[in-house]
Amino acid sequence: MNKPLNDCVIVGSLKNPAAHFAETAFSLLYQSSTLGMEIECNDHPATNAMLSFAFKTPYTTPVTCEVIGWDDSDQPAAFSENIMQAACGIMSVHGRANNKTQPLGLNYVSAVTAALALQGGVAAAIGQLRGLSISNSCVSMASAALLSETQYIADATAAESPELLVPGSIVYPTAPPFVSSDGVVFELETLSADPWLKFWTRLGVSSTLAGKGWTAFLLRYARAIAPIPNELVTAISNVTYQQISVLCSDTGMSICPVRKINERLDDEHFKYEWLKGPWTFDFKTDRNNVQAKPASNSLPLSGLRVVESCRRIQGPLAGHLLALLGAEVIRIEPPGGDPLRGMPPMSEGCSARFDAINRLKTVREIDIKSSSGQAEMTELIRYADVFLHNWAPNKAAQLNLDYCDLMDLNPALVYAYAAGWTTDESTFSPLNAIPGTDFMVQAYSGVAQKISETCGTQGGSLFTLLDVLGGVIAAQGITIALLNRCMNNAGAKVTSSLLSTATFLCADDFQNRHHFFDINATSRSILNGVYVTRQGKIAIECCDDKTMQRFIQTLGIVAESEPAELELRLGELFLLKTAEEWAAILQQVGVPAAVVIENLTDLHNNTRFRSRLTAGSYTKVSSPWSFQ
Amino acid sequence: MSITVIIPTILRPLTNDQKRINMSGFKVSEVIDEMEQQFPGIKAKLIAGGAAHRFINIYVNDNDIRFCDGLATSLQDGDVLTILPAVAGG
Repeated sequence: MNKPLNDCVIVGSLKNPAAHFAETAFSLLYQSSTLGMEIECNDHPATNAMLSFAFKTPYTTPVTCEVIGWDDSDQPAAFSENIMQAACGIMSVHGRANNKTQPLGLNYVSAVTAALALQGGVAAAIGQLRGLSISNSCVSMASAALLSETQYIADATAAESPELLVPGSIVYPTAPPFVSSDGVVFELETLSADPWLKFWTRLGVSSTLAGKGWTAFLLRYARAIAPIPNELVTAISNVTYQQISVLCSDTGMSICPVRKINERLDDEHFKYEWLKGPWTFDFKTDRNNVQAKPASNSLPLSGLRVVESCRRIQGPLAGHLLALLGAEVIRIEPPGGDPLRGMPPMSEGCSARFDAINRLKTVREIDIKSSSGQAEMTELIRYADVFLHNWAPNKAAQLNLDYCDLMDLNPALVYAYAAGWTTDESTFSPLNAIPGTDFMVQAYSGVAQKISETCGTQGGSLFTLLDVLGGVIAAQGITIALLNRCMNNAGAKVTSSLLSTATFLCADDFQNRHHFFDINATSRSILNGVYVTRQGKIAIECCDDKTMQRFIQTLGIVAESEPAELELRLGELFLLKTAEEWAAILQQVGVPAAVVIENLTDLHNNTRFRSRLTAGSYTKVSSPWSFQ
Repeated sequence: MSITVIIPTILRPLTNDQKRINMSGFKVSEVIDEMEQQFPGIKAKLIAGGAAHRFINIYVNDNDIRFCDGLATSLQDGDVLTILPAVAGG
């Protein structure tokens, strides 16, 4: 395995963090290990306010990396994974499809935060090697959570016909996954209407109803709801999984069962993939005299050029993050522009959700299928520092734009592929025959099943959580490859995928089974719930006994022996005050609590987020990093 | 047949910024042909090779024409034809 940060060290109190940083600290340990870093865990007492570590390379001064909860130190408040999900709108988007505001059941914000935190340290080191004097990088969990919601916040606040989707306001019919007559829960996927029509027609559904289902299915990525007509759900529930599989094969639809996380952990190559981490690095063996370009402003990647040819979310978000770090990003779009530019809701003539992750890029329209277009691409990439694409498997080779086509042309190039399924293109994977989209990967990877266990649903989330985290992972891999280039004068290919991202997100499951590190991956919260109050909902999470004690004392209740009794009592008690009043009371005594954001437009009125959100034709999410 | 066509923002530069236009035709293709006569260039944005672009969804009232008769879908007086750009997948 290629370990790009073999010469680097991470130093910090990562084995004894405060309870609300436990998942972030574990993820940092896991990432550092997979990257080959030396890990020095010191015994400094953990602080509640901050998780701090130093990132060291042989060529730079140590970068102090800080992870905090909220950005606004004027309003200190206890926090946790689920408090962030509640306060930043993730519960709201996730809850749309189930009509219920609820947690994801994953340490999602912690994972995003950990990836951004390490990336910040790596980027700062690159900045130093390029003439900047950055010694500190800071990321908040709140900024990571808001970044995850970038596109949904844009949709909700768009100038023209914003999407107002609030859990509980509309009852939506059943969303996927589907269930067969023999009880198998599964996802379906297709990127075009023809297979969909053939499939449902063969099941006896009228074309009109199939069409209504298609509209819901098509828009589920953007809206996080999928109001599939009940007639379709009923029709498919009358057929066995085997029959449905055959029908999919006949009609060009793709199918994937919702697998248990333990099935995923038992996959033949899973241990290898877990140990490898979410990236595959392929370094050029012959080193070149790569001169580090000086930074052109105070941001660590300024003066570096990224050429991006990506569609939808994962790849464009990766490019957006590199732009937030200062890189010049040239986005390649087909002649006439990316069709997603026109997808409502709109702001100032462009799709708000599209602009949210592409607004910092320069656009070049190139027909990459033509030979002249490929020549134009080659010339652009010849002088680029990074080339990033998220094309379908084997398409790069067909376009003569694979790494082997470009590595001699530009030996210093970091060639990045943000894939769906596999990060190892040299090995045949049958998964590559089906679309590697968010919901299919959630189903295959065990992520969907983990979510369903928490939420009492049948499958995963229609919040595109893997696309978003996949974009973060892709950008992080590129940044690591750029640092390696600075240190070792070698270009590289770096591949990440939605599946490798899912493995990253569920890294604690494998740790809990095999105990590779001498730490507990996660600690189960003693209390973790969303409660209805006199006005609004409140989320509360008590991660340890001391916090639980304070909670019980503050509410003046007796610790009930039965969890059900406690829940009943809490349900009655919380109706006596508003969510804001309860949040103030509980935060005063250090209990993680927050008013649940149900309408995303409420975010930009919250003073807590004023440094991270910018009002305008739609609300924009700012960079999650601050450097000093 | 009087048909109301809802134009998405991205195409409004071609329709003098009009959000709703009134056209006539017995089929979707006839309406698009008339739109092209009044607003040259719009047809190429909607269809290619005899079918709607993959990323353009055309609805007659609430029904996607791909699930009816495509561009040959027949129209009734007063129908609303909505154009919605959207791409499958995430």
